[in-house]
Amino acid sequence: MSVQRGGLGRVTHIIGEGLEGRIANRHLALFGLGFVGLFFVLPILLLIPESLNLGSTTPFESYRRVANGIYVDAFVRSFLYGFVTTVVTLALAYMLSYFLAFSTERVRTAMILIIVPLWIAYIVRYFGILLFLSPAGPLADLTGFETDLLFTTPAVIIGLANVYLPFAVLPIYNSLNAIDEELVNASRVLGAGKWRTITKVIFPLSLPGLVAAGLIVFILAAGSFLGPAVLGGPNQTMIANVIAQAFLDNFNIQFASALAIVYTVLLVGLLLVFNTLFDLQEVLGNI
Amino acid sequence: MLEVDSFTKYYGELCAVEDLSFRIEEGEFVTLLGPSGCGKSTTLHAIAGLVEPTDGRIRLRGTDVTDLPPEKRNIGMAFQSTALFPHMTVRENIAYGLKMHGYSAADVEDRVEESLELVDMPDHGDHKPGELSGGQQQRVSLARSLAYEPDILLLDEPLTGLDRVLREEMRGWLNRIQREVNVTTLYVTHDQEDALSMSDTVVVLNDGQAQQIDSPERIYESPANPFVAEFVGKSTQFTGTVTHENGQAVVYNDEKRITLPDSSIDDDQSVSLYVRPEDIEVSPEPMGAENEFRGIITDIANLGNRAELSATLEDGSTALAHTTRFPDIDVDDDIFLRFPAERVIVL
Repeated sequence: MSVQRGGLGRVTHIIGEGLEGRIANRHLALFGLGFVGLFFVLPILLLIPESLNLGSTTPFESYRRVANGIYVDAFVRSFLYGFVTTVVTLALAYMLSYFLAFSTERVRTAMILIIVPLWIAYIVRYFGILLFLSPAGPLADLTGFETDLLFTTPAVIIGLANVYLPFAVLPIYNSLNAIDEELVNASRVLGAGKWRTITKVIFPLSLPGLVAAGLIVFILAAGSFLGPAVLGGPNQTMIANVIAQAFLDNFNIQFASALAIVYTVLLVGLLLVFNTLFDLQEVLGNI
Repeated sequence: MLEVDSFTKYYGELCAVEDLSFRIEEGEFVTLLGPSGCGKSTTLHAIAGLVEPTDGRIRLRGTDVTDLPPEKRNIGMAFQSTALFPHMTVRENIAYGLKMHGYSAADVEDRVEESLELVDMPDHGDHKPGELSGGQQQRVSLARSLAYEPDILLLDEPLTGLDRVLREEMRGWLNRIQREVNVTTLYVTHDQEDALSMSDTVVVLNDGQAQQIDSPERIYESPANPFVAEFVGKSTQFTGTVTHENGQAVVYNDEKRITLPDSSIDDDQSVSLYVRPEDIEVSPEPMGAENEFRGIITDIANLGNRAELSATLEDGSTALAHTTRFPDIDVDDDIFLRFPAERVIVL
């Protein structure tokens, strides 16, 4: 061939020639799996020996400490906040997605408005809410009404719901948008009003998206660190904050590892319970 | 029974249906026939209450339903996509309309079973729609739309997407059910065979306007305009200007002299002439009759019970003839085609 190849093109060409016939699709999977294995599974497994006081007579000393009141509170609070955030976020996201799927032609514009916040760092968004809610902030300036929301549970929930909303809108919108309009028409002609069509046809058919959204938001929210750190007070400390404190402030790697292990086990256990209740395989398989 | 009065629908600037009026009598089977985009589906959706008319009124059993939502109209509708609820069983699908129409639990149960019997699917009640074949889904869809005894049944291309054999089977079956239940039916299709074989009355639509409202026989034998003549059925077409010779109206089309059925037609009119393929007789020898032309066979399509011959006439135009006898002729053979003057459709 007379065409002169550029530097980079030449290099990729040589590499391509070398790999030709030696690499199959299953090899591609290995890269992904290898990455996850090396940087996710292995570190988590390493936490187990770290959490134990090996060589002493009380190897489970850290776990005993985890059962202390303040830590149990942090666990309970994490799952509770996770749950409340999920409920609030799903409700908001469902209404928004419904509007997107059935009531507007301007889906693209609306989607951009929903996606753009994802480009902005969490910390910036939390600080935005912090400023907005603060007694000297815009909300107080505009309304002349100083809220006591800052550093309370509602402030944390508002922050979390705000940040995780896009993660819920995408799967819910997808499943609502996939509903054939003829099904809605059929329901109406069969005698069901708008509301009954929503409860009997649209809602059941959007369940896969709702469940997927719920899982994503719950897992993200229960493990949040920045939200409670910026918008909450001492009484809003969640488990991620406790782990970070033990790890970064107190350098107590053993205790931090124990907390992390317990949290992971509880979360996985919770998902298993959820799975038996909703049969995730079936629900998620329909997406 | 159903009266569509000056129905007009605009989508923005785009006119979907313009000033369409027709009536359906009790128990009648009426078909809206037209090419895609002719406005037939829009009309059906408007009758169901799923499309809001820009203008015009729709009356059902003497009541003006134009401003009623779909759920208040007591209409049954089967959709092209079947629109069966995928998360419900067949039984639940059929029960849905009954429940929404306020039937008691016991009545719902009885009527669901009756409906399943009606469409010959008594054993399929517990299946999900996804487990059924296309034809079965259409039958369930029909059962669902008939279960609560609607005033009128609307069918939106229910046979489209089924294969040819199944389609013909479903036509007969649909007609049987319609007679059995004796429900007034409005059927929408782009398929002329559906329309001609099933209906009492056909409304031919094009570009949002009614072209002809007539019996299937009249639509085929006496089309109102060139669109209907060309859309419904096949034909050989000639054009020309009318003159009179020896008291007979004739049209010269290039070299060909065509005698028209009716001599009362005025001179100097430009007309389109259509001859149906079954009206054209073919033979290897000339008979010296009027309306006889020489041609060369270009194609012979065997349709089982008959053959469809395509021939190129001397001036290059194409003629189409059906023959039940299979004459000893082949592609590229010289033949003579003739048709009686009274079978010429003049438009």
